[in-house]
Amino acid sequence: MYKTSSKLLAALALAGLVVPALQAAEAVGIDGKWFAYPGQVDPQERTLEPPAPIPDPPLKPEFLEDWRTLRATLAAADARGEPIASGYTRCIPDGMPAMMQGMFPMEVMASRGQITIIQEAYSQVRRIYLAGEPLAWEDAEPRFWGHSVAKWEDETLVVDTVGIKDYVMFRNVPHSPAMRISERIYLLDTNHMVDEVTVTDPEYLTGPWQWSWMYTRRDDYKLYEYVCENNREFADPETGEARLRLFGE
Amino acid sequence: MNARARLAPLFKAYLILVLCMHWVPNAAAHHSFAMFDSQNQVKMTGTVTKFDWTNPHVYIELDVVGSDGLTKSWTIECANISILGRIGWKFNMIKPGDEITVIVGPLRSGQPGALLKQVTLPDGTKMGNGGPAGLPNIQ
Repeated sequence: MYKTSSKLLAALALAGLVVPALQAAEAVGIDGKWFAYPGQVDPQERTLEPPAPIPDPPLKPEFLEDWRTLRATLAAADARGEPIASGYTRCIPDGMPAMMQGMFPMEVMASRGQITIIQEAYSQVRRIYLAGEPLAWEDAEPRFWGHSVAKWEDETLVVDTVGIKDYVMFRNVPHSPAMRISERIYLLDTNHMVDEVTVTDPEYLTGPWQWSWMYTRRDDYKLYEYVCENNREFADPETGEARLRLFGE
Repeated sequence: MNARARLAPLFKAYLILVLCMHWVPNAAAHHSFAMFDSQNQVKMTGTVTKFDWTNPHVYIELDVVGSDGLTKSWTIECANISILGRIGWKFNMIKPGDEITVIVGPLRSGQPGALLKQVTLPDGTKMGNGGPAGLPNIQ
């Protein structure tokens, strides 16, 4: 009986080592540091077809014209040299899904039960949990990066995110609390990763809004800190224009 | 009240206000470089009084003696630590007291603020200000 127990113990111990190793091995492909492709990559390294341009959002007719007008207004203000103040003027970070566009490098880390992604711009952190079911939107506290759960389908990480604050928008596209962001994250090859994004919103969109982002691996890169400690920009209280606070003011 | 009834009217009513005050732009439309005149660039030499190695922007305060003999303090906006670090800037590359030459796009408002295009350090090294800020168009 002693021998049988020791064999059983040995088998359990081995399982205890192997199972976490398997979980880590599934994730290790996307682990690492990533630069946006092709935007942050030198021209001679642009060997793969870049993703298609992001299409306009399929906003419902009652919202589409307002959105087009706003985009045109913002572009015209820029062209005049009188840019309207934005969330960035107040050091408000991108949130989801914009944080995944890879404005700056990002870091993907797998640990037990979760994938953590850090975007260098504004030190944004999102946590994707590998257990649990997607939240109902009514139960999702509004956040910048939402609530994410994911499952591995073979080598693809399939993520559901819900609960984005109303004013956290991508390309100024309005959304309801019911908006969901679905992602399929996978490697094209060892050094290239894709995030296929699908946004759905029964209140604002006629159908899914889909696009892909691509990244190239940069494992020797060490992310910088980003603390918005010295913000010299402000919104003009009368015009809403972005202004610069000079030294001495 | 069901979810649909709750959602629809309120968001439409506040749509424009929310969008104008709180929007987050995409990366292509850089947030506020448009306030600088990147076409009519100017070149200045002056003495550094401050070098803020900070986010969201690195700033140089530069005392420049004008043609009228008066010293004006300029606020020169550089990119952020991440972009600058990646093109070779160091936190201690510029110090108060350094005499540097800058090529800048000045504020359209006429105030003494500007966007850096290129800096020439005391040892003659020239550094840019990263892709989004654009290149110098004068020598």
